[in-house]
Amino acid sequence: MDYVVFAQQLTNGLVNGMTYVLIATGLTLVFGVLHIINFAHGEFYMLGAFFTYFAAKLLGLDYISAAVVATLGVAVLGIFANRLFFWPLRKEHEFTVLLSSLGLALLLTNGGELIFGADPKYVPSPFADSVFEVGQLIVTQQRVLIFVVGALVLFGLNLFIRHSRMGKMMRATAQNPEGAALSGVNIRQVYTVTFVLACGLAALAGALVGPTAMIFPTVGSWAVLKGFIVVILGGLGSIPGALIGGLTLGVVESLAGGYISLGFAQAIGYAIIIVVLLWRPQGLFGTARRT
Amino acid sequence: MSRKITIPVILLAALALPFMTANTYFHHLMVLWMLFSLLALSLNVIIGYIGELSFGHAAFFGIGAYTAAILGMHFGLAGIPGILLAAIVAGLFGFVIGYVSLRIVGPQFAILTLGFGSIIYTITNYWVDLTRGPMGISNIQPLGLWGGDGIALTSAIGYYYVILGCVVAFAYACHALMSSRTGRAFIATRENAPLAASLGIDVFRMKLLGFVVATAVAGVGGALYAHYLTVVTPDVMSMQYVAALIIMVIVGGRGTISGPIIGALIYVALLEALRALGPLRLVIFAALLTASVIFLPGGIVSLWRRITGADTPHQEGAQ
Repeated sequence: MDYVVFAQQLTNGLVNGMTYVLIATGLTLVFGVLHIINFAHGEFYMLGAFFTYFAAKLLGLDYISAAVVATLGVAVLGIFANRLFFWPLRKEHEFTVLLSSLGLALLLTNGGELIFGADPKYVPSPFADSVFEVGQLIVTQQRVLIFVVGALVLFGLNLFIRHSRMGKMMRATAQNPEGAALSGVNIRQVYTVTFVLACGLAALAGALVGPTAMIFPTVGSWAVLKGFIVVILGGLGSIPGALIGGLTLGVVESLAGGYISLGFAQAIGYAIIIVVLLWRPQGLFGTARRT
Repeated sequence: MSRKITIPVILLAALALPFMTANTYFHHLMVLWMLFSLLALSLNVIIGYIGELSFGHAAFFGIGAYTAAILGMHFGLAGIPGILLAAIVAGLFGFVIGYVSLRIVGPQFAILTLGFGSIIYTITNYWVDLTRGPMGISNIQPLGLWGGDGIALTSAIGYYYVILGCVVAFAYACHALMSSRTGRAFIATRENAPLAASLGIDVFRMKLLGFVVATAVAGVGGALYAHYLTVVTPDVMSMQYVAALIIMVIVGGRGTISGPIIGALIYVALLEALRALGPLRLVIFAALLTASVIFLPGGIVSLWRRITGADTPHQEGAQ
């Protein structure tokens, strides 16, 4: 076996996996803390990529500041999305919330098509064309950036949830919302912060991945699908599950694409999930209700 | 008005509908309405009766369409056997997928079916040898009795009556089911699964039964669709159709028989009426879904009950 090719595939898989992890972490955070399935999550990824594009083009910002502006902008949008679509429905049946988020997803996709235009766009980045070499491995700097930023953000998020006051309030809400409210946790604030974090993470993923591929308004449904597959694999509501699930999916897809068939790479990734689900229907780290 | 009067009146109106206009485009829309009614009614078994949300229903529709198309292409089977086989294949897929995913409930189940739906979509897109990939299969034979015997249904009116027959038969079957012991077991499962289990109802089997029936009927819908349009592409399994079917059931009214049919009518009619608006029409659709979910959780059907003041439980079979 050619070890260089294998290592190259593995590296590509880990980088792709890290984007899946970034997308899935927001999804799993919203579910874990608020028990909401957010179908519109992928749209915030799409908005992150488009905001980066327009911030660079219209405001003339360089790539890194454009990405920061886009991430913050979408995080602020998360506040509005929460106030309009999720907070008012917090006492409704879970299907109502799920369908309301599906409505929001359709609104954002089609609204995006109306405003941004359906033609694919390309986010410029100075890191996209220069490469980074370690031995015989070749990776573009953009992909190194994706991995490093992803790892740092996840580490920071972990510290935030474990040690900050807000993080503790979020974990209390996840365990028991009524009990948390009774002991003085401001649930409204928890909702806001959770959505800001989740939308910001999705937007950051979009801003980072944007330069490696074309962006178009329907890219959100791709993102949310990948995110969902990762959280099914890892277990809904579990952040370690999102990390392991995302990296696994990325590596499996990359190896299957390199050694078996490029077209079936995704299907093979899904096949692994079916095998895992036959063994653990609630996912690797999940604690889903069972009948 | 009692049911004894309204149901024959509605049936007569449905039979007379194609003669109200000679415009073949309207006939085409009527066929689409009936087709979506059949699909929405089948999805309603999952959403309304067993109380789970499936995001994979369009995949079974696609499986039925592709089964009919591939059978017609390779074996010249374009008639009733083809449709029955489409139902069996879709139902088998439903059995396997249901067997895996019905072990978990609620939002996780919804996402799991979404995952399975996209697996089937991906495979259809890439297995070019069997499905011709994104190009789709065209030149599918029109519907006949056994295929290759010279009888072929080509007019839109013909398809309208065939699919109307399926809708009426399936609607009656749903009604009969919900008044039977099995139907009451469905409702008990939906309302309170642990309680139902304690009364000796096999909850998992009930759910699997409902899921398989729903997917098999979606397969029939797919086969009819393939014969009618004579072309099928992987797009029939896309998220757009998944969302469309859910919109029909929810906006119309889940757990009722008239609800999904009205929902399908609203979908087809509104999509046509808003055609001039271009991309904006889908934005309006999304707003409609959201507003309906938030303000009218029982669907359009519940509005009728609210106006007439009838104090019946808003879900069929719940009484």
